[in-house]
Amino acid sequence: MLEQFAIFTPQGEILYQFNCLGRKFAETQINRFVSQYISSRTSIGASYKKYSVLDVSGAADGAGLKSSRSFCCMFHISKQPELFYVVTYAEQSLELNDEAAEVLKLGVTLWDSLQLNDGIVRNLSGRGHRNEHNYVEVTEGLEETIAKFDTYLRAKYEAYARRSEASKPVLETESVENNPKKKSSELKSKKKSSSGGQQGRKWGRDGMMDEIGHSDPTKLDFSEASSASSSNVALVDKESFGKRTVEGEFLIREIDDLLVSQRDRVKSTAQASNTNAAFSFLKKHILGNKTISEEDLKSVLDKLQQKLISKNVAPEVARHLSQQVSKDLIGSKTANWTSVENTARESLIKALTQILTPGVSVDLLHEIQKRTSQKDSEGKKHPYVFSIVGVNGVGKSTNLSKLAFWLLQNNFNVLIVACDTFRSGAVEQLRVHVENLAQLTDESHVRGSRNRRGKSGNDHVELFEAGYGGSDLVAKIAKQAIKYAKDQNFDVVLMDTAGRRHNDPTLMSPLKSFAEQANPDKIIMVGEALVGTDSVQQAKNFNNAFGKVRNLDFFIVSKCDTVGEMLGTMVNMVYATGIPILFVGVGQTYTDLRTLSVKWAVDTLMS
Amino acid sequence: MFSNSVLVALILVLLTSSFLLILQRNTGKLIWNAKSGSKNRQPTLIIAGPCGSGKTCLYNLMTTGKLKTTVTSQETSIADNFKLSQSVQVRLMAFPGHLKLRSKLLDEIKDSINIKGLVFVIDATVDPKQLTKTAEFLFHILQLTERRKDGVDILLACNKSEMFTARPPLKIREVLEQEIEKIIIRKQKSLETVTHSNKNHELEQEDTVDFETGNNFSFNILEGNVDAFEGSVLKKDIDKWECWMRERAVN
Repeated sequence: MLEQFAIFTPQGEILYQFNCLGRKFAETQINRFVSQYISSRTSIGASYKKYSVLDVSGAADGAGLKSSRSFCCMFHISKQPELFYVVTYAEQSLELNDEAAEVLKLGVTLWDSLQLNDGIVRNLSGRGHRNEHNYVEVTEGLEETIAKFDTYLRAKYEAYARRSEASKPVLETESVENNPKKKSSELKSKKKSSSGGQQGRKWGRDGMMDEIGHSDPTKLDFSEASSASSSNVALVDKESFGKRTVEGEFLIREIDDLLVSQRDRVKSTAQASNTNAAFSFLKKHILGNKTISEEDLKSVLDKLQQKLISKNVAPEVARHLSQQVSKDLIGSKTANWTSVENTARESLIKALTQILTPGVSVDLLHEIQKRTSQKDSEGKKHPYVFSIVGVNGVGKSTNLSKLAFWLLQNNFNVLIVACDTFRSGAVEQLRVHVENLAQLTDESHVRGSRNRRGKSGNDHVELFEAGYGGSDLVAKIAKQAIKYAKDQNFDVVLMDTAGRRHNDPTLMSPLKSFAEQANPDKIIMVGEALVGTDSVQQAKNFNNAFGKVRNLDFFIVSKCDTVGEMLGTMVNMVYATGIPILFVGVGQTYTDLRTLSVKWAVDTLMS
Repeated sequence: MFSNSVLVALILVLLTSSFLLILQRNTGKLIWNAKSGSKNRQPTLIIAGPCGSGKTCLYNLMTTGKLKTTVTSQETSIADNFKLSQSVQVRLMAFPGHLKLRSKLLDEIKDSINIKGLVFVIDATVDPKQLTKTAEFLFHILQLTERRKDGVDILLACNKSEMFTARPPLKIREVLEQEIEKIIIRKQKSLETVTHSNKNHELEQEDTVDFETGNNFSFNILEGNVDAFEGSVLKKDIDKWECWMRERAVN
């Protein structure tokens, strides 16, 4: 069962809305779709019959939105003008996908064939009628056509719904025979209801299908009759039934004619002629003010793509970026005195900035403060838990210590947990870090000494260790450590995990149970800037390793000082997952952790 | 004689065009000043604010006088030569509030020369404790606007006053001040951002204004005025805001 169908502009104005269930149109659902679309624009991989599909998860966006039910969206974005056609439905299944694709296709072609697009382009470019504020409304002069669109879509949708319903019974011959009549009887009532100046009324598909044959229009008519305050219900019904059958058939034919003519129109689109070829060279390179075509961009984009790849950006990502640029630029005009190349560059900078800009704001200090200021019934606070994952040798322990140093400077008590129980020396390595950190926070600290709880470290930073062992030990240590931290009044728990190869399922699968058991507030993945193209896969696999309900929270990109300008890894990782980079590691010492500046990264990539 | 002058003319033409070409290749721009061509010189009124506060609705109400259902915007709505009143024309821009699209707004603030005022729309029904994100957004805007000589006047438009749970504008203003104070303190404690190791270092620094800590932050110390009025787009009760905008646009 489809839920809603909407057409809206990227400016946020809804041009058309239709609730398939006959309820009130709920724009919050569309809002959630848009918000998810904006934050994960790059990682939308799924598509069905040339339309993109996006699953909107329920829990992902709890802030301020009451209904957090998960649902699915199929959408299409038209280019001239840019419009979003969105169909929402409960979940992905073959049947629903089919239905959604059908409705979407119908909506798009109908919209096209009514030539609403031309009107909207005209209004957007300001050539339409201006009101007293000197402003052209998007739908100026199109209200009637949209109402017509509404009538047609409803008619077609009902016909489609009826057909799909009818094809279900085993007795196919019968249903085929009955179909046209039912369909048309369905239609005219639709037609009547909307053409009768009652656009606001929504006719649910539910009620309609429960009724059979003649009782159907009766019911519909009843509501109409009551509004017209007519007492002769039966008579009106019969009369309008006969008349409306004709209207219904007529309507269907009208729509089909429209759709066919639309197809022809598309076929016969004439090719644009290149008359002013002589000027175009000058315009392209010097004068500017040139309308950009695909050919102009091709060589420029190839060059930019090559440049990105040379900066370690994965080819897949570079291709996406250049597509983004061509989408942005084709059909637009270059500014005065600006070459196509520079315009493309500007546009690429925009695209890169958008990818790297985080979709959620992360203010760790604020979150930790908020958490530690809350006390439970026993007067204890729950510590803020980080866990750090990553491939072998990317610098998980090092970055964990840098993070710990920063937190210690902000007067938090930090418990460092050695959850790497595989690699020999992992615990000892962390102990060295803890000793260093203890010495840095308190100069009187004697290396190797025990604190008052009998552990490595001092009052502010401490190591929680439980030796080496199998993977079941990891979750146990994590749980124990959190309990210990709670009892001993620690503010922050930092968990170091074993490095693992991202394409080995046997190594990756324990992560899921670990995340469930320890339930960290933030899962951080450390990725090294050196890795190159594989970073796409690394980020994806780690992000998926925690199951459907949990994702990574952010990345730390380490070893940025070793790659110079080749920061492509950053773009790859964010592109693959839509998860922001919070920190970058730029050196060997504890203070060499920095927050990412998007401008810096983009400038470096483009230089 | 005749052929000579033609030759000289030809050589001159060749020289200038090659000079221009080389210049363009090297600098990317033919005329140095060209970049300012992309700058916005028109008197501009900006509508900004967090997601779901009612920016697009306000924009629609102002431009068309109608209320329409809207969804989260992804692009900036722009009304050029918008007639605020019979005599006053401005460029009215409503920016999307989504975090990922905020750079559009910040770029515009950097590029526009003539910003008459900024309407920061706030959902007044939000619990003051949840205003941290809003304060952060406002803080980012202030960092840019305070760079200008006289700052930019900001209106805290507390929308949805028709709701029972709406807070009074003065309360919201006060909470925002407190939150911004906390943000400034946190900013100093948090890690530095990465910068270019050598060149352009000073330029980077000038990009944003750092506010002093210690004394309590207050909107009064800013260059631009910050006013807070309640209103309701749904009830078409935006007279106070329009009045404020007209005042700024005339100045």
